[in-house]
Amino acid sequence: MRRSSQIFDLIIGVGLIGVSGFAMLYFLVNERFEWIPEQVLELARDPEILKRPPAKKCSECHKIIYEAWKDSRHSISWTSETFIEASENRSKEKCLPCHIPQSVQGEKPSPRMDLRDEGIYCVSCHFIDNKMQGPYDLLAPPHPTFRNPDYVRSNFCGSCHQKTFKEWKATNVEDTCQDCHMPRKKSRLTQKAGFNLLHKKRWVGDHRFLHGEIKEKDVVMEPGWEENFFIISLKNQTIPHFVPTADNGDPRLYLYIKFFNEAGEEVDNAKEIIAPQQETALPYNKKMRYRYRLFDKIIKAEVELKYQPAWSKEKSTLRTETVLR
Amino acid sequence: MSFLRILLIAAAFIFIGILPVHAKDMIVKEPPKSLSKYYPPESKQPKWIQQMHKMSTHFGGIFVNLKEKDYENVDVHADKLVEEYKKTSEMVPEWEDYFDIKAVEAFAAAAKTHDIAKAGKESGGLGKTCGKCHAEQEISVWAKFHWPSFHKIKVTDPISEKEVEFDDYMGSISTSFKGVTVNFGEGQYGRAAKALKVFKSRYMELKSTCSKCHATQDVKRFYVGQDADTSFAGLSQELNSEKPNPEKFWKNIGLLGKTGCKHCHLVHRTNSFIQKVWEQ
Repeated sequence: MRRSSQIFDLIIGVGLIGVSGFAMLYFLVNERFEWIPEQVLELARDPEILKRPPAKKCSECHKIIYEAWKDSRHSISWTSETFIEASENRSKEKCLPCHIPQSVQGEKPSPRMDLRDEGIYCVSCHFIDNKMQGPYDLLAPPHPTFRNPDYVRSNFCGSCHQKTFKEWKATNVEDTCQDCHMPRKKSRLTQKAGFNLLHKKRWVGDHRFLHGEIKEKDVVMEPGWEENFFIISLKNQTIPHFVPTADNGDPRLYLYIKFFNEAGEEVDNAKEIIAPQQETALPYNKKMRYRYRLFDKIIKAEVELKYQPAWSKEKSTLRTETVLR
Repeated sequence: MSFLRILLIAAAFIFIGILPVHAKDMIVKEPPKSLSKYYPPESKQPKWIQQMHKMSTHFGGIFVNLKEKDYENVDVHADKLVEEYKKTSEMVPEWEDYFDIKAVEAFAAAAKTHDIAKAGKESGGLGKTCGKCHAEQEISVWAKFHWPSFHKIKVTDPISEKEVEFDDYMGSISTSFKGVTVNFGEGQYGRAAKALKVFKSRYMELKSTCSKCHATQDVKRFYVGQDADTSFAGLSQELNSEKPNPEKFWKNIGLLGKTGCKHCHLVHRTNSFIQKVWEQ
C-alpha cells in the first residue's frame, strides 16, 4: 500500500515537473526568448537555412504556409506557360526583376541567378539583408527571425506591384494589400511535430495571395436610354485600386452589348475592353460612362460583363442584364 | 554568238569584278548560332554585351588613368584588357579572325610604358580589330539579340477575340482604317461610323501590345496617347453629327497617321524587316 502510494507520488511529481518545465519552456520560447543564451541557440541553428535554400526546405517546418504558397501564382511566376510565352521564352529583361526577385524590400528588386524555377519564393520575401525577417520577432531555433513592420504594409507588395500600389495610395483607403489578399487567421507558424506545441498561435497571412473575386456589389452597372443613344455606366465601388489592375499583365473586363429591334432581331452590337494596359480600367469609386449611337429602332439591349485574368484565355461571366426601352 | 557579243560580256564581267564594294553598301547577315549561347534565353545574362563592356571599360580605363598619372591602375587595366580580349576571342569561333592577340599585347605593352603618346599610337592597331567587327556585325547582333521580335508577338484581336500574329493584326488595322476612310469618302457616314468603332478598338488594342515590351506608360503614350484620343474624339464627333465636316475629318485622320502610325513605323519597322527575313 505504502509502495503504491510512493509510485503515485512519483508519477504526480514527475508530471508536475514535466508540466511546469513545459510551461516554462513555452513561456521562454514565446515571451522571453532573449533570455536563452546564444550559445544554447547555436546548437539548434541550421546554417543551411541562411544559404537561400529552396522553398521545400522551409516546408520542413512551415508546412501550411508552403502548401498555400504552392497554390499561389507567386510559386509559378517563372514556370507558368503564360509567362514563358509573354516573355519570349523568359528573354525579356523587363520581366525578370519581379518574376525571379533576389530580395523584395520596397523597391524594384534585382533578378536572381539561382533557383529560378522557385519563382517568387520564401527567400525572396523573407531573407533580406542576410537575415530572416517577417512580421514577428521570433525564437525560431533553426534561424533567428526579426520583425519588420513592412510585412503588413502595402509598400512591401508595391516593390513589384508598383502601379497597383500607386492606385491604392491615391484612394486613401486604409485597408492594405495584405488585408484583402493575405487575410490573416490564428495559426501556428510551424507544423513540425513537437515544435508546433511550443509555439503559440499567431495571426498568419494566407500565402495563396488571394486574387479577389469581382462580385455584383463591387462593380455597379447603370444602363439607360437617351434619344438615339444607349448609355451605360460602370462604377468600381469597393475595390481600392483600378479594376482590373496589373503592372505588366493584361487582365480584362469585357462589356458586351447587343441591340435588338421590335422583331427581336439583333441589329447591332458594341463592346468595351476594360483593361489596365489600355488605360481603360475602372478607377475606384468613379463612374465610367459609355455612350453608343443607335442607327436602328432599338427596343432592347442585352448587356454582359465578363472577366479574363492575366494568366488565362478563358473568360467568366460576372453578370448579364436585359435593358428594355 | 558573235565575237563582239562575247567580247562585250567578257568586258562586263571584268568591269563588275574590278568594281570596289562601295563603303556605303552594307550586308546585314544573321549572326552565327554560337553567339546565341551568350544571350537569353540560352544564357541567364547577356554575356556577350557584358564582355564588350568589360573590354571597353579596360580600354577606356587605361587612358583615364594615364591622364590622371595613376600608373598602378593603368597596368591593372592593361592586363585585364589582354585577359578579356583573349577570352572574347575564344567565345565565338566563327569570329576568331576578327581578333589580333599581338595587337592587344602590343597596346598593353605600350600602355605600361606610361607614355600616353605611345599608347595612343599602339591603340590604332587594336582599334581596327574592334572597328572591323563592329562595322560588319554590330547591327546584326543588335537586331537579333537586343530587339524583342515583333514576329513572336501575338495579339488578341478585340473584334474576333482570336489570337493572331502581329503582322496579320497590322493588316487588320489597315483594313479597318480603310473601312472608315473609304466609306467617308463615299459619303456613307453611318457605315464610316460603324467602321470607326472597329478601327478604334483595334488601334487601342495596340496599347496592350506595346506593353508587352515597354514597361512604362510614357513610351506607349508616345504612340497611342493624347493625340490618338483627340483624333478619335474628333472623328467620332464628326461621324455622329448630322452633317460631318470633311475638313475636320481628314485633319484628324492625318493627325492619327502622323503621330501614332508614323512614330511607331519610324522606330520599329526597319528592325522588324531585318528580323522577318531571318525568321522566315
